[in-house]
Amino acid sequence: MSDNGVQLIEVRKSYGSMEVIHGVNLSIPDGAFVVFVGPSGCGKSTLLRMIAGLEEVTDGEIAIKGRDVTDVDPSQRGIAMVFQSYALYPHMTVRDNLAFGLKMQRTDKAVIDERVAAAAAILKIEQLLDRRPGQLSGGQRQRVAIGRAIVRQPEVFLFDEPLSNLDAELRVSMRVEIARLHRELGNTMIYVTHDQTEAMTLADVIVVLRDGRVEQAGPPRTVYEDPDNAFVAGFIGSPRMNLLDAVWRGNGKVEIAGQVEAAPISGAGLVPGDKVTFGLRPEHLIVGATDGIMARVDVLEYLGGTRYLYCQLTDGQPLIVEYRDGPDVRSGDTITLGCPENRRYIFNESGARIR
Amino acid sequence: MTGKKEARARRALLGAGGYHGTGILLAIFFLAPFAITILSSFRHGTEARLPPIPPWPTTGFSLDAYRGLDSFGAGVWQHTLNSAAVAIGTALLTVVVSLLAGYGFSRYRFMFKNALFVLIIATLMIPFQSILTPLFIILAKLGLNNSLIGLTLVYVTLQLPFSVFMMRNAFDAVPKEIEEAARIDGARDLKLLVRVLLPLVLPGIVTVAIFAFLNSWNEFLAALVLLSDNSKFTLPILISAVRAGRLGAIDWGAVQAGVTVMSVPCLFVFLLLQRYYMRGLMAGAVK
Repeated sequence: MSDNGVQLIEVRKSYGSMEVIHGVNLSIPDGAFVVFVGPSGCGKSTLLRMIAGLEEVTDGEIAIKGRDVTDVDPSQRGIAMVFQSYALYPHMTVRDNLAFGLKMQRTDKAVIDERVAAAAAILKIEQLLDRRPGQLSGGQRQRVAIGRAIVRQPEVFLFDEPLSNLDAELRVSMRVEIARLHRELGNTMIYVTHDQTEAMTLADVIVVLRDGRVEQAGPPRTVYEDPDNAFVAGFIGSPRMNLLDAVWRGNGKVEIAGQVEAAPISGAGLVPGDKVTFGLRPEHLIVGATDGIMARVDVLEYLGGTRYLYCQLTDGQPLIVEYRDGPDVRSGDTITLGCPENRRYIFNESGARIR
Repeated sequence: MTGKKEARARRALLGAGGYHGTGILLAIFFLAPFAITILSSFRHGTEARLPPIPPWPTTGFSLDAYRGLDSFGAGVWQHTLNSAAVAIGTALLTVVVSLLAGYGFSRYRFMFKNALFVLIIATLMIPFQSILTPLFIILAKLGLNNSLIGLTLVYVTLQLPFSVFMMRNAFDAVPKEIEEAARIDGARDLKLLVRVLLPLVLPGIVTVAIFAFLNSWNEFLAALVLLSDNSKFTLPILISAVRAGRLGAIDWGAVQAGVTVMSVPCLFVFLLLQRYYMRGLMAGAVK
C-alpha cells in the first residue's frame, strides 16, 4: 500500500450558512478498504458523495492518486459508485446496464464485450445478462450494481450502504463477496455503513464520524480496544460500552456509585473531585468477582450462547453485562462485577479519553 | 362429493359469465355511438334524411355523405390536413417544452422556483375565453393572426400548464440515484436526458402528447376566432359549418361523415400511444 490512494485536505461542506462537514482531513492508502461509520446524519454519506463528485466541495481539496479532483466531473475522477438503492437503469438489460458507462466513454465494442463478460464472470451473473432489472431479485440487482462499477475499472470503489436493502442472510453472503472482491481487485474501496458488523469485518481502516467531524480513524482493533473518546467507545461494540458517571479520587482511583475502583491511568490533568466517565464493555465484565461493583439485575435476556443482564447500580445508573457461563443469575439478584484493569476506560468531562 | 364439485363448477361458470357479460354490455354502451355514426355515414343521400332507425345503410353502401362533406369549404382533405398540422405541431412542441420545463422544475434549484411553478399552475384557473381578445390582438401584432402557426402557438400555451405539471411529476418519480449513477457513468446534459431519463418519463410524455393532440384537434372557439380564411379552417369549424347546413336544410349524412372523419384519427392516436403506458416501467430501478 502506497500512501496516495485518496486524500482529503480540510474538506468542508455547507448548505447555505449551515456547515455539515467541518474540515475533514483523511489520508487513505492505495488499496485500503476504508469504512465510514457513524450515526445517521453524521455526514458519512455526504463525505462519500463529495469524493464521488456528486456534492460540491465548499472548501478544501480532494485528491485521488495524487491528482486534485476537487472540481473534476464525477465521470473523470476514476471512481465508481454502488448505491444503496442499486440505481440500475430499469429500461436497459443487465448487459446494457454494465456497458452504459463504457459506451458513454466511446470505448471500443470488443473491449466493452470483454469487460462486461469479465465482470459478469466475477459476479456470477452471466446467465442474467439479457434480463432487465425488474426481473431480478434484490441480491442479483446488487450484483449488477457492483458489476457496473467493476467494468469501469476505477481507481476507487465507493459503496453507499450497499447492503442495507438486503435481508439478513443475503447481507452476510454479499459482505463476504465484497471482501473477496477487494482481495481479488486490490482497489481502494470506501464503504459507508451504519452497520458495525460490516464495518468491523470489512475494514482495514474504520473512520468514525460524528456531526461532520472525524472522531477517530484506525484499524478496527485499535478503534475497539483503544478508543480516543467516549463517543467512539460507545459507538463501536455491541451492546454498547457502559459509560458510567464517576468521580476522580486521585492516586489511580475513581468512585462509582459510592464504591472506589482502580483506574489504570496516571490522572495527569485531573484534580481529585473531577467528574469523569468510567467505561466498561459488557463483554469484559466478570460476574461473581470477589471484589467489584455491586449491581442489581433488572432484566435478563437469554440468547443461547450468551445472556445479557440489564442491571442497576446502587445509585440507579444502568449497566449491561454480557454473561456467558457460571452459576444461574435471576432478575432481582445482586451481583458483584469485576473487570480487568486494562479493560477500564476513563474519559474526562468533555468525553476525551485519558490514558 | 361429485355434487359439491358440480356446484363449484357451476358457480365458477356463473361468475365468469357475469364478469364477461358485464364487460360486453359496457363495451356495447361505449362502442355503439361509434358504430352508429360510422355505419350511418355510409347511407345514401336520401336515406340520410330519414329517421336513423335502423342506423345502418338499408339501400346499399354509399359514399354520398363524404362527397357532401367534401363540398363544404376547401374540401375535407384540406381541413383534415389543417387539423392534423395544428394537432401534431401542438403535441410535439408541448412535449419538447414541457419535457425541459418539467426537468428543470424537478431537478434544478433556482430562485423563486416554487413561486414560478405556482404561477404556471395558477394560469389554469383563468378561463381562456376571457383572454381570447388579448390573444387575438397579440397574434395580430405578431403577424400571426389567421395562420395555423399562430393557432398552434396559442394551443401550446393553453396546454403547457397542465403539461409542465405532468412532466415535473414524472421527473419527480425518477429516483435521483439513477441520474447520479448516469453522471458517474459519464452521461451529462442532453445525453443524460435522452439516453437515461427519457425512457423513464415516457408514460408522462405520452400522456402529455395525447392530451395536447386531442385538445387541439377538438378545439373550436379559438380556431373560430383566430382563423378567418376559409381554407385554413380546422375540422371542428368545418363540422359546425356542415351542421349549420345550406339554406336551412341540414345534411345529416355529411354531419355523420364529418364526425367519423374527426373521431377516427383520435382513436388511432390513442391506440398507437396507449401501449407506452407500460405499468411497472420503473420496477427494478431501486429497492
